[in-house]
Amino acid sequence: MSSSTRIENMQNPSLLLYGPKSAKYEDRPIPELGNHDVLVRIAYVGVCGSDVHFWNEGGFTKKVSTSSPITMGHETSGTIHSIGPLVSTVKPGDRVAVEPGVPCRYCKPCKAGSYHFCKDMRFAAAPPDGHGALTKFFRSAEDFVYKIPEKVGLDEAVLVEPLAVGVHATRLVDVRPGEKVVVMGSGTVGLMCAAVSKVFGAESVVIVDILEKKLEFARGWFGCETFKAEMGSSAEENSESLLEKFGLEDDGVDVVIEASGAASSIETGIHLLRRGGKYVQTGLGKPKIEFPIVALSEKELMVRGCFRYGPGDFELATSLIARGIIDAKALISSTRPFEEAVSAWEATGRGEGIKNLIKGVED
Amino acid sequence: MTTQTATQKNPSFVLQAKDKVSYEDRPVPDLKSPYDVLIQPKWTGICGSDVHYWLHGRIGHFVVESPMVLGHESAGIVAAVGDKVTSVQVGDRVAMEPGVPCRRCVRCKEGKYNLCFDMAFAATPPIDGTLARYYTLPEDFCYKLPEGMSLEEGALIEPTAVAVHITRQAAVKPGDSVVVFGAGPVGLLCCAVAKAYGAVKVVTVDINEERLQFALKYAATHSFTSQRVSAEENAANMKKECDLGHGADIIIDATGAEPCIQTAIHALRNGGTYVQGGMGKPDITFPIMAMCTSELNVKGSFRYGSGDYQTAVDLVATERISVKELITGKVKFEDAESAFKDVKEGKGIKCLIAGPEE
Repeated sequence: MSSSTRIENMQNPSLLLYGPKSAKYEDRPIPELGNHDVLVRIAYVGVCGSDVHFWNEGGFTKKVSTSSPITMGHETSGTIHSIGPLVSTVKPGDRVAVEPGVPCRYCKPCKAGSYHFCKDMRFAAAPPDGHGALTKFFRSAEDFVYKIPEKVGLDEAVLVEPLAVGVHATRLVDVRPGEKVVVMGSGTVGLMCAAVSKVFGAESVVIVDILEKKLEFARGWFGCETFKAEMGSSAEENSESLLEKFGLEDDGVDVVIEASGAASSIETGIHLLRRGGKYVQTGLGKPKIEFPIVALSEKELMVRGCFRYGPGDFELATSLIARGIIDAKALISSTRPFEEAVSAWEATGRGEGIKNLIKGVED
Repeated sequence: MTTQTATQKNPSFVLQAKDKVSYEDRPVPDLKSPYDVLIQPKWTGICGSDVHYWLHGRIGHFVVESPMVLGHESAGIVAAVGDKVTSVQVGDRVAMEPGVPCRRCVRCKEGKYNLCFDMAFAATPPIDGTLARYYTLPEDFCYKLPEGMSLEEGALIEPTAVAVHITRQAAVKPGDSVVVFGAGPVGLLCCAVAKAYGAVKVVTVDINEERLQFALKYAATHSFTSQRVSAEENAANMKKECDLGHGADIIIDATGAEPCIQTAIHALRNGGTYVQGGMGKPDITFPIMAMCTSELNVKGSFRYGSGDYQTAVDLVATERISVKELITGKVKFEDAESAFKDVKEGKGIKCLIAGPEE
């Protein structure tokens, strides 16, 4: 079809994934706007670990296919291009961070304050029909775009999405002022969880990773304490070592936010907690793992899952970046043109950089 | 009047202005969205707020500026459905949740649509109510009545949902002692719902002996006749007579009356919870020192939110509460005004107005 059409001749150039290692630039129809919708001219798209997974495997449980390819990209920012007839809170030209999933608003979870569980959620880059932001024009809803002040760059605004994940996790595990928090994993989401925990008043935050260079960045970025977990040691050994380092052997920490998905890290996290402690699983890894369930019982832990973000999370994330409380710029490691999106995914897959950006379609 | 409404397309019972009601033939409403449903309300109950609009033409800053159809506590039969409706079909009997939120504002999205800034609520100006041949609602605000539930019981779901919401705000849990001030329909239903939620002691309070006797038969375990003494004395007497020890765990006010509110604050144990459900004087003298030193948890409660209407239907459907006994009168559509007069005079518990005859 449009493999011979050049991007510059397309109305709405978009990058679609057809299967593992199979992506094509195509011209997609410019979306039509409903009463409360907005059309965003995409400025930047960030690369997330899940994008790499999609590129390599075609998806998680739901995969893309040649009959239902999807446009990739869900961490995004842009300017409002046009608005639906009843839109009153944004106007063309406004610079915004974009929350990439618009719910139906009618189902039970939507009305109960959990729109992230919406049965008909249309989430960017989610098979089978959630088209994402690696496109020129992306449709969203008025209340799912968040204005950013002039002093915040559109590239920085891409970080609102992973920060919203961090806000959601920290709220779910209910970090309270004075609590001791450990974050497992020093990738983008781990860093965000650590920063938000500090904002929420944690007395101390320790980030854990197996790579020293990531811990070095974390120390410089948000002044967190760090701990290097040893691959060769057991979960019990690693947790004992960490607690000793910080003088917490007597009981343990109040909160663990798991942001790596790695089985050994999950195990270590459980052992770090004091009795009555709280744990939230943000990271995604193997679907089934071996879990220290007796420790969970004996310590009467509160363990919960964490999925994307819900009401109020994007607002707080936008506010934290807008007020300069979180330094989003420092996380941006590279920016590649729209035509080099695949190379951005592959670089991320090789562990290069923290947040790699893809620029939107140029005029 | 009877023949007139029978030949009209959409006969409606309208509040023209304070103290003046009449019947009008209003246009049959359109289905504005493919998710909307057209219903024929068959039974409508009346509440104190309807009477208040009738008598005063306003409640707070809600002012009746142009003629408005009355009624909001209804159940009816589905007459037509929009293209995308899947949960109900023509002929279904439904309880009607009369307040439709915007679904987009911060309150709606955080799960508190009863606090929506742009709530469109039946018979709250300027939104027309349900005392008409036809009314439209989105499908997710229509709740199918199970086989054994009558449309009359369906009309009681609205005040039941109010009671469910109040009881949820109060967080009544198994083992609690609960006091409910006011033995009108909402107070009675709060007693019933509190019991269903596991309260071991439910005290009904009123100044009317007849209502108290009814409440004891209906759902309460104890009753207390409120006296014209100081709030502290009233509270002390109630705690003694009803064996409440240091005070109740939870007190719900379903009167809005100042002496009740004051007594309630003095009748709670430390750390107890108070929920304001009833509406009366906008400003009152409040025992704030007692609230502070007893470290009470004081909350408002407004209409009903996510899940409350369905819970109300389920409680009645599974017979954990019963609403039939609360229906003390039924009148024809043409006699709607007389029902309003009865409620104003405090007669009966719940009087239902039939929808217009075909």
